Amino acid sequence: MIKDLNSAGALPTLDAMMRFAGARQRVIAHNVANWDTPNFQPKDVSVSEFQRSLGEAVARRRAFNGGMVGDLPFEGTREVRPTRGGGLELRPETHTGGVLAHDRNSTDLERLLQDMVENANVYRVAADFMRVQTQRLHAAIGERVA
Amino acid sequence: MYGALDISTSGMVAQRTRLEVISANIANARTMLRADGGYEPYRRRTAMFAPGDPGASTQAGRQLGVHVADIELDRAPFESRYQPDSPYADAEGYVKVPNINTTVEQINAMQAARAYEANVVAAETTKSMMAQALRLLA
Repeated sequence: MIKDLNSAGALPTLDAMMRFAGARQRVIAHNVANWDTPNFQPKDVSVSEFQRSLGEAVARRRAFNGGMVGDLPFEGTREVRPTRGGGLELRPETHTGGVLAHDRNSTDLERLLQDMVENANVYRVAADFMRVQTQRLHAAIGERVA
Repeated sequence: MYGALDISTSGMVAQRTRLEVISANIANARTMLRADGGYEPYRRRTAMFAPGDPGASTQAGRQLGVHVADIELDRAPFESRYQPDSPYADAEGYVKVPNINTTVEQINAMQAARAYEANVVAAETTKSMMAQALRLLA
């Protein structure tokens, strides 16, 4: 029962989303920091691949017990690997560069910042949904005890 | 996510170092002598960036971010000015002056400032994401 508190409903999926966006922020910050480093080719992780893999994990969880409780059987993708501690390890391999400049750097700052904003929004959405879930939990506990 | 702040900071440090190198170039655009008074025009310097941050505290942190790998001397030849009255003029009356074009330095300074700003924006975004996560506790 207590174990299920943290894996009820959409919580594991939101958790995976937040972990992914948090780890991807590092990748994007690295690309921004190397915006004008000679010979630097920006690499990112594929969001669509992660999304597909996460969707499959959600479907498996649903098939297993209706999706109400239980851990998310997320297996990871080519670039996103779940670690033992429950985190995600990212190995960016997808090239995201634009035109190669004369310093052999292909970073597109506008696209990079767009990625960053979108990533921050994903994080925000997941955090907001998670907060709603925990507030609901608080309300339920409050009614029983008080 | 704390790592993301480290990365953005390494970018800011690198860009500031680059701006210092550019400032030194502009300040020495007319420097003809060495510190000891000997005749040797100032050579333009450039900061060379490389990915990774050797100063980071963790193994993962050392692979991310950016650092100034080297400050190199520009091997471009010195410019020659016709100044036959100068005590440093050669037999034909030409004086060698630093290979620094202040316009180019200004443009580079602008680029460094913009890159610095981009890193600040990245750090701000990371901070707002952290704030979101902290609000989960409230």
